[in-house]
Amino acid sequence: MEKMSRVTTALSSSAVSGRTMFCHLDAPANAISVCRDATQVVVAGRNIFKIYALEEEQFVEKLNLRVGRKPSLNFSCADVMWHQMEENLLATAATNGAVVTWNLGKPSRNKQDQLFTEHKRTVNKVCFHPTEVYMLLSGSQDGFMKCFDLRKKESVSTFSGQSESVRDVQFSMKDYFTFAASFENGNVQLWDIRRPDRYERMFTAHTGPVFCCDWHPDDRGWLATGGRDKMVKVWDMTTNRAKEIYCVQTIASVARVKWRPERKFHLATCSMMVDHNIYVWDVRRPFIPFATFEEHKDVTTGIVWRHQHDPHFLLSGSKDSTLYQHMFRDATRPVDKANPEGLCFGLFGDLAFAAKESLISSDANRKPYPGGDRRYPIFFFKKPDPTEQFAHVSSALSVFETDLDSNRMDWFVKTAQLYLLSGKPFAELCDHNAKVAQELKRPQVSTTWTMLRIMFSDPANLTTPGPNHNLSKLGTLPLMNSFSMKEMGSVMGTESRLDRSKGESRQDNILLEPGNPHISNNNEENEETEGSEGQAEYMFGDAELDDDDLYSMEHDNQTEEQEYTLPQEAFQLRHEIMDNPSAPEHLQQDKADSPHVSGNEAEVTCLTPIESFSLISISQPLFSPHLPASFFCPIVREMLSYYAEQGDVQMAVSVLIVLGDRIRKEIDDLTQEHWYMSYIDLLQRFELWNVSNEVIKLSTCSAITCLNQASTTLHINCSNCKRPMSNKGWICDRCHQCASVCAVCHHVVKGLFVWCQGCSHGGHLEHIMNWLKSSAHCPAGCGHLYVTRLW
Amino acid sequence: MFVARSIAADHKDLIHDVSYDFHGRRMATCSSDQSVKVWDKSENGEWHCTASWKTHSGSVWRVTWAHPEFGQVLASCSFDRTAAVWEEIVGESNDKQRGLSHWIKRTTLVDSRTSVTDVKFAPKHMGLMLTTCSADGVVRIYEAPDVMNLSQWSLQHEISCKLSCSCISWNPSSSRAHPAMFAVGSDDSNVTYGGKVQIYEYNENTRKYAKAETLMTVTDAVHDIAFAPNLGRSFHVLAIATKDVRIFKLVPMRKESTSTGPTKFEVQIVAQFDNHNSQVWRVSWNITSTLLASSGDDGCVRLWKANYMDNWKCTGILKGDGSPLTGSSVRTDNLQCLTLTGTAAAH
Repeated sequence: MEKMSRVTTALSSSAVSGRTMFCHLDAPANAISVCRDATQVVVAGRNIFKIYALEEEQFVEKLNLRVGRKPSLNFSCADVMWHQMEENLLATAATNGAVVTWNLGKPSRNKQDQLFTEHKRTVNKVCFHPTEVYMLLSGSQDGFMKCFDLRKKESVSTFSGQSESVRDVQFSMKDYFTFAASFENGNVQLWDIRRPDRYERMFTAHTGPVFCCDWHPDDRGWLATGGRDKMVKVWDMTTNRAKEIYCVQTIASVARVKWRPERKFHLATCSMMVDHNIYVWDVRRPFIPFATFEEHKDVTTGIVWRHQHDPHFLLSGSKDSTLYQHMFRDATRPVDKANPEGLCFGLFGDLAFAAKESLISSDANRKPYPGGDRRYPIFFFKKPDPTEQFAHVSSALSVFETDLDSNRMDWFVKTAQLYLLSGKPFAELCDHNAKVAQELKRPQVSTTWTMLRIMFSDPANLTTPGPNHNLSKLGTLPLMNSFSMKEMGSVMGTESRLDRSKGESRQDNILLEPGNPHISNNNEENEETEGSEGQAEYMFGDAELDDDDLYSMEHDNQTEEQEYTLPQEAFQLRHEIMDNPSAPEHLQQDKADSPHVSGNEAEVTCLTPIESFSLISISQPLFSPHLPASFFCPIVREMLSYYAEQGDVQMAVSVLIVLGDRIRKEIDDLTQEHWYMSYIDLLQRFELWNVSNEVIKLSTCSAITCLNQASTTLHINCSNCKRPMSNKGWICDRCHQCASVCAVCHHVVKGLFVWCQGCSHGGHLEHIMNWLKSSAHCPAGCGHLYVTRLW
Repeated sequence: MFVARSIAADHKDLIHDVSYDFHGRRMATCSSDQSVKVWDKSENGEWHCTASWKTHSGSVWRVTWAHPEFGQVLASCSFDRTAAVWEEIVGESNDKQRGLSHWIKRTTLVDSRTSVTDVKFAPKHMGLMLTTCSADGVVRIYEAPDVMNLSQWSLQHEISCKLSCSCISWNPSSSRAHPAMFAVGSDDSNVTYGGKVQIYEYNENTRKYAKAETLMTVTDAVHDIAFAPNLGRSFHVLAIATKDVRIFKLVPMRKESTSTGPTKFEVQIVAQFDNHNSQVWRVSWNITSTLLASSGDDGCVRLWKANYMDNWKCTGILKGDGSPLTGSSVRTDNLQCLTLTGTAAAH
């Protein structure tokens, strides 16, 4: 013992030295062992038995113990151990059942000292007593453990496990007389060296073989065991029954386990197949390795800490014929790469967020960012020794929900449900949809619908308002013209100036059109307006503010129509009152969003409702009769693309359907199909099956319409005899009963028939729904339990 | 405004991933404690754990839902070098486990020799396909030829990306004009290797995936990557979580009908934010791809939104525990977007 403490002091003076290094062996290693002062390591295998010196920079081969022209099987080692007190003494376990000791002090080349051939089969493990110089223990495949006194020629005692092969034997570090043995049948036995007749204690540690065990170097009661069940278990042996206190789940069977010196909760493991890595675990956090050494290319067969008081160096031998010294500093830390957060957006705009608790807890216990320099790359920042922080980590999970009022996707669902896409005249569809958008507070969309109506309505359907009244306001006409173009520009948002100038040139075309006295009259003024383009643009660039008026104006036109009724007007007025005060709000938001617009706030507000009112009411009858609808197609096409690229494919598809042939040929089929597919996918996400079906039905893309025609056949079983129905009618071929009898009212179902795929019983949709309100079982009495969520 | 609803997750170690299902009513979480939990939203908006089971023998990095057309199916991937496919079985629950559903392992994909870092189902229109990527830099694409049989998966493609992969994202576009495409991010921390995001595209002629683009400007470790829902766009938007949040726009250039090579893209970086002041771990798009959420080592979720000029701005910051963000850790240029109001709701 004095020797040992001296070594310890020597070590602490030299502190950590050395580096991660390796050397090639001639053959695969089966086991390694290190001498007491950590200067030399012995590597043993089927075809290798060598001693290497551990130098600062490299391994240096010192001695080849495998001598002779044709070495005997005694040199074929399954295990090796260097005596921890007698530095010239080694023991090996041979695959032929021999236990051999070696004396390095011998002058001859062959250092073999003693040979015990008492085991019948492979010896799996040899173990010197930690304090008793001449005591050696062996464990063999034949199920026996033997204790040798190296001064004698034969074993002094034999322990029979009475169970299967012995995989590991380990003397207790603290109890002089105790050793542990692990077995292939999953048992661990505790023996007193003085009582070879029976074990002190036995317990089942693992399912399947226990390949290894290791006593804790400091804590006398702790035994770690590793098995083929991929688990490492730590047992408290001080109590009457061995108590499992920690369990580490690894990813492959555990071949070796070694407690890490000076770190109470750490242990190193390696596997005997599949996995070539060496893991160091903190048993308090059993799910994720504390550190990993990934150097080996084949199975690691032996691991040993370089010195029993040094936690920084690990030696390992492998089937890939290399011997490694791993430095703990160079280990990979899986937890550093492990993502501490999870984040996902839900369908309804809610956010699920899970994060490591230490990240989100109050700032008090958080490290400030180094130097406050945000550009400082965090991964260069040397973390404090993570040993202390490793255990007890958990995450907090929360869902951030949007307030009901501002629930982001409500608008989508409502819009999808309320839009009319067919079944009415075009103008009415547009009006309806504009109104829907208006009510959902989506003024831009609403305006778009209104304008579409203006652009594409058949002029014959429009009643011309009193011309005299309107003509009196001729002076504003050019402005009106530019308005429609600019308005489009604003709808298209970021479209380039080029497009806008195109718009201008088109405008010129309008002006050149013959037979339009009103416009040509105002040619000059129009040019004037063009000159002040910027102003006009800003004025209407924010036209969303005025669309209330635009909208109400539309209805104003309708006042001339026959269908006009008083309630409609009442509704109308309420709108104006309600919406106008909200206008500044919109303005504020837009300001926050886009300073470009807000700069011209004054101009926007100066446009009084009355003014714009009159502007628009004139415009409509003026230009629409003279412009073919196709004139607008390019601009509408761009507008649809704009909506699609802003993430509002709903608008693109709805307009596409409502406009139908008016626009269809302007947009290439692939794009249309893409829009349809995207929109249908969205609708299905929100479980808007009816809308989705309607869209499919109304689409003109062959690729889309065929969605409705695929798999329209349902295969059902007869509710009576449970056998598959043939495809003709509702009378079962086999039992000649009607298969569509309602299980509730016992009448034949005509129309909607709902049935359970599990028991084939069903009936009228209403009946079944009512039934399931009160009972979870099948109404036919077959005992089948319905899970209501499925209905 | 957002309201934080805290859920007692009861995972015994870090939660690495949260994932909503297609309809937003169910949620799955996975953790280093080797388990996956499934949460169902009740009528009153509460989340209840309806299943919790041990899935792997190592940390579970990711969990993801298949399209419901294929059933209630989850895929998970783990440090234990496997990915697994799970299917829910309803109706066989006995009284003891009332309210708990059963998830059955349909397959284990064991081809990887290192940790499987991400798993994603391909977009539905491609059929039932599953992609994994692993720490040794291999992307594997599996297909279930028979969608009714989830236990049979054949390895269709094995693509070596050279760099350790950390995340993968499919381009969700269903347009026939866009060939199947996915992006892979690498968490290799060696900045000199460059190009930590690679984009692969399917080539109809060779029937293989070929690299179409490498984002050379992304040189730091990438932790998460997400294509925005396409929704009829002609271009693709990609969000990247690295040491900052980045948003890239990939505009396919017009292709000559004769060329058979991969599509060329015009790659534009449209936004780059280092407001997290540290590593960004996750990015996620909302369903209309108008809002991007990111979370970083600062423990906050930040929301990003583009205005009509395609300028991306921060529109909100959420502290992980739901508490309002206090001054000290916020830089002044964020002050204007401290609260979640207006702009986001204006849509």
